[in-house]
Amino acid sequence: MATIADLRQKVSETQPKPAEAVTRELLAEGFDPIEILEEGVMSGLNDVGNRFAAKKAIVLDLVRAGVTAKTCIPLIEEALPRGETPKNKKKVVLGTLLSQHNIGKNLVGTLLSIGGFEVVDMGEKNAPWDFYETAEKSGADMIAVSVVFAPALEKFSELLGLLEETDVRTKYPVIVGGGVTTQKWATEQGADGWGAQAKDGVDLARSILGIGS
Amino acid sequence: MGKLLWEAIHRSSTGRIMTEEKFETEFFPTILEDVRKKHQIEWNPDEPVMTDPGMADAVFQAGLEYLLETGLYCKDTRRIIQFTKEEILEAVATARRRITLGSGREAITLAPRAPGDEQHPYTWFPAGALTKKVELYKSHAMAAMQEPTCDGVIPIPLLGIGELKNVLDTPAQTVVCQAEARAMNEAAAWAGKPGLFLGIPMSATTPLAMMSTFGPGMYNKENCTLPIQILQDMRVNYDRFNLAFFADQHGIEPWMSSSPALYGYLTGPEQGAIEIIAHTLGMLAYSGGSLTQAMCMSIHGTYVGNDISWCNSAAALAAERNLGLPWVSFGSTGTPGSAFSDEAWYETALACINACISGMEALWLAGGSTGIECRWAGEVARAAARLTPEEGVEIIKKIRAIEYEPTPSPLPLEKLYDMTTLQPRQEIVDQYRKFTRIFRDLGLDYPTWHDA
Repeated sequence: MATIADLRQKVSETQPKPAEAVTRELLAEGFDPIEILEEGVMSGLNDVGNRFAAKKAIVLDLVRAGVTAKTCIPLIEEALPRGETPKNKKKVVLGTLLSQHNIGKNLVGTLLSIGGFEVVDMGEKNAPWDFYETAEKSGADMIAVSVVFAPALEKFSELLGLLEETDVRTKYPVIVGGGVTTQKWATEQGADGWGAQAKDGVDLARSILGIGS
Repeated sequence: MGKLLWEAIHRSSTGRIMTEEKFETEFFPTILEDVRKKHQIEWNPDEPVMTDPGMADAVFQAGLEYLLETGLYCKDTRRIIQFTKEEILEAVATARRRITLGSGREAITLAPRAPGDEQHPYTWFPAGALTKKVELYKSHAMAAMQEPTCDGVIPIPLLGIGELKNVLDTPAQTVVCQAEARAMNEAAAWAGKPGLFLGIPMSATTPLAMMSTFGPGMYNKENCTLPIQILQDMRVNYDRFNLAFFADQHGIEPWMSSSPALYGYLTGPEQGAIEIIAHTLGMLAYSGGSLTQAMCMSIHGTYVGNDISWCNSAAALAAERNLGLPWVSFGSTGTPGSAFSDEAWYETALACINACISGMEALWLAGGSTGIECRWAGEVARAAARLTPEEGVEIIKKIRAIEYEPTPSPLPLEKLYDMTTLQPRQEIVDQYRKFTRIFRDLGLDYPTWHDA
């Protein structure tokens, strides 16, 4: 008989097919879908995140853990009683400013999705205007920006200026992270939040948008 | 540049098609790990440097097989560009092993050097500062260039010219980068080194701006190179090919560059070293270049540690024994305001010693944010040139055993230098003297250190 601990382990070991099989078994045995999601999938993801923070896992492990989680989540969602979907209805526009790097950005996107957010992934090499336009068109609740090389630092300030200029600065809280950013810099720029790690993006989004974890 | 550029372009529209997600999560990581295991390439975390010639050859073979099996992923077409073994071996056989950079009295010729050779690795100092004040920018460059051990420089990106910002994708970026070139030339003239090698255009971030910067001739084929660097983890785009072609058409030396991020999609320094070799062979194919800048960094944001130095040395030694290309690695720590950071002074010395015993030909961004830190890097590279790998490793292990003092807050240049004479103030001279004494005690020597 499968246990939720088994699922946590399969997610932590980034094994999509076994994780999917355990999820099916748990659901068939009548376990609470919310418990399966939180104690199995999310805890497994956290385990990988903690290993990464301790330098015992690599980004690829985080991505694979995300892929593993994504094989389980649709099954869990289907099993949720109507009205109890863990989606929080909040929409986050996410993109890399200027550069073509996407490792961190993709990871934040995966974790936000798993955390119940709807993610509008703008991809890479975006200009400030792209963020503004996408947020307006998609009806976003927040903008999340990945800044991974020095010339983009100044563009971030330009983005905040653009949002001010177009009178939507308070409409879209802006969070930022990435290799060349720091808490001090983000605060000086006037960002609403800064994350050192991908998982911080989810915590920030929840906190700023007033969603319980 | 040669026939393989045209082959690469052709194959970018006919090669195997694949999503980038599959390429990066399944395809290349599997092949890379397989070749690492096959060639039994293992890193011992206690070892800061890879000195084993047998393992170096294995790293080279693994890198070659990794490139042949994986190919280069073209981001523009989502197709894989593959080369045959014969094509790559021919590119290696016909590569240029000696190149001259700079001109006149300042010309330097990079030729293959083995670990322990008398010829020291050349040291290219960081010149300039992250600022929009061009005069301050130039003062930083002058402070570095005046040092006798300055063999060349690598400009720091200029953020603007006064109120004119360095705006991406506009002529402003080209103009700012041309201001960088002008400042570098003027600083070099002031330092009495008009033919100095000036590195690469650093204030330009797009291919168009980089190429346009060469227009007025302040950066030219004698004093500057053009980056054609491969993208992370075996990826290219058409920008790379356009840059390589432009360099070829104008007789400019391509700056081949590989900077893998460890712990992103690579499991550690073993995979990093293999990937550097594969990257280099790939760039050799599409650019016909020679000068290779190779360094890894950690996804956790550091440029120092046994894993980093091991990876850089393993790739360098593999290249020294099997390629003989002019090989350049990172000569500092990237620490902001490094002047009074003991870690920066120690780790700069460590990078220089590593270059000497791993058969590297040069160090880029050698030193720190001030001229006297650059002096330090140049002197250590000269003092350590003849070290055997065993002697070098012994010193490096002693350095790594030291617990560094915390890095103090950065200070601006005017607090560290007399801005009228551009001479370092006493406090920073004392810091320099402290380290000359420490390194004499560790067994290195340089003529000016005897006044310590």
